Amino acid sequence: MNVLSVEGLEKRYPAFELKNISFSVRDGEIMGFIGRNGAGKTTTLKSLLNFVHPDSGLIQFFGLPFLENELAIKQRIGFVSGGVDYYMRSKLHTITAATRRFYSSWDDAAYHKYLKTFELDENKTPSQLSAGMKVKYSLALALSHHAEFLMMDEPTSGLDPVSRSELLDIFLALAKDGVSILFSTHITSDLDNCADRITYIRAGEIVASEELDTFTERYRLVSYTSEQVTSSLRPLLIGEKTAKHGYTALLKTEDLPLVSIATTPADLETIMVHLEKEMAL
Amino acid sequence: MKNLIIKEIRLAIHPTNILFLLLSSMLLIPNYPYYVVFFYTTLGIFFMCLNGRENHDIEYSLQLPVRKAQLVYARILYSTILEVLQFVIAIPFAILRAKLIPAGNDVGMDANIALFGLSLLMMGLFNALFFPRYYQDPSKIGGAFVVGSVAVFLFISIAETLTHTAPFFRNQLDTPDPAFLSTKLAVLAVGILAFSALTYWAAHRSARRFIQLDL
Repeated sequence: MNVLSVEGLEKRYPAFELKNISFSVRDGEIMGFIGRNGAGKTTTLKSLLNFVHPDSGLIQFFGLPFLENELAIKQRIGFVSGGVDYYMRSKLHTITAATRRFYSSWDDAAYHKYLKTFELDENKTPSQLSAGMKVKYSLALALSHHAEFLMMDEPTSGLDPVSRSELLDIFLALAKDGVSILFSTHITSDLDNCADRITYIRAGEIVASEELDTFTERYRLVSYTSEQVTSSLRPLLIGEKTAKHGYTALLKTEDLPLVSIATTPADLETIMVHLEKEMAL
Repeated sequence: MKNLIIKEIRLAIHPTNILFLLLSSMLLIPNYPYYVVFFYTTLGIFFMCLNGRENHDIEYSLQLPVRKAQLVYARILYSTILEVLQFVIAIPFAILRAKLIPAGNDVGMDANIALFGLSLLMMGLFNALFFPRYYQDPSKIGGAFVVGSVAVFLFISIAETLTHTAPFFRNQLDTPDPAFLSTKLAVLAVGILAFSALTYWAAHRSARRFIQLDL
């Protein structure tokens, strides 16, 4: 079953457009929503919850159309927008007290369990929390109403590598417990060890939405010098970039039999950087 | 709605919301343009909305299982409660003033029933001008408050001028209670009706605008 399915989502602004966005998140999976800054990740996420009004498209959570089932759906999901950036000078227990009343399935025992696990002090204010702790508090709120699906907008941005890794471990543990996760990031290395599938958006259009491994296996990285470029290799190179000793580019895996040059596996970041470069050409 | 009102009290409230309620006691000042007391309520509402912008109140609230329109209705209902409280708290001070200072107010309207009626009309006008403009774009709250407060001060200027110049105001409305009681009660009734109708209209227009907004 899909916890989220988006079909033909469109939104036009004077200077930006979301074009025919379609993807889905399956039950219990972690999906990374990647794209460079300004690609349309946040606008897409906001459109899913109708903070932004799509011009067209069908958005369903748990098989239910969002607009007709907004309140019931919001009871079952958690939206974490880059950590807590609201009521920065109110104590966490005050924010929690105001928040918990809205959820019929609020579980105080779970809330205190997460406070303890995440080492959160309820007497602190969000302004006293580090970026990582702010995300953890948002997660604690979402998990305490037993959100089945977490949507997170850049939860790892601005975190140090250790905090990021810690957070990704939490995501993995949650996924194991059956929580589905969609999180946007421009730090693609977050996804290498954690995402089941990725959706890649560029300039308001979905470039790919598939298994992470399937996506990364489509490409190989090739490092070369100008002398190594033959006329048969040249048209196959994708997103040529200058490197320290020559150049790097991607090759489609299907093109490998056509060339004799050595290649290495490409990770998500490498693929994204080269594809962005290619599309900008 | 109850949960949203509790959220307003726990999180959105601004200290001036309470502090300015105490300014109803300004009716004890012997000579003062008493309409100004009710302007302070609008100032407190402005501070609360400003505070909300700085604290990303709308972003926080939208994550909750509520509809966009409900946020608008809750904020306007909470503001209306503050406005009504300002009037309710002012009543004993108006009575006390009449007992302590029998002389009328040299500056403008006496603290009487007609003042309450006209002030309710003024607050209704503020709500009708401020909230729909605020919810058209909550990030530009200053413009909404300028429009609302200019209207309030224009109202005060006109009303106080009439108190000195128009015979109906000078001779009937600006008199100690219970003189011309039925006329003043009629003004109060008109004020209550106008306040209710304008605030109701403001809430629906604000909600319509806010629903359309891309946040």
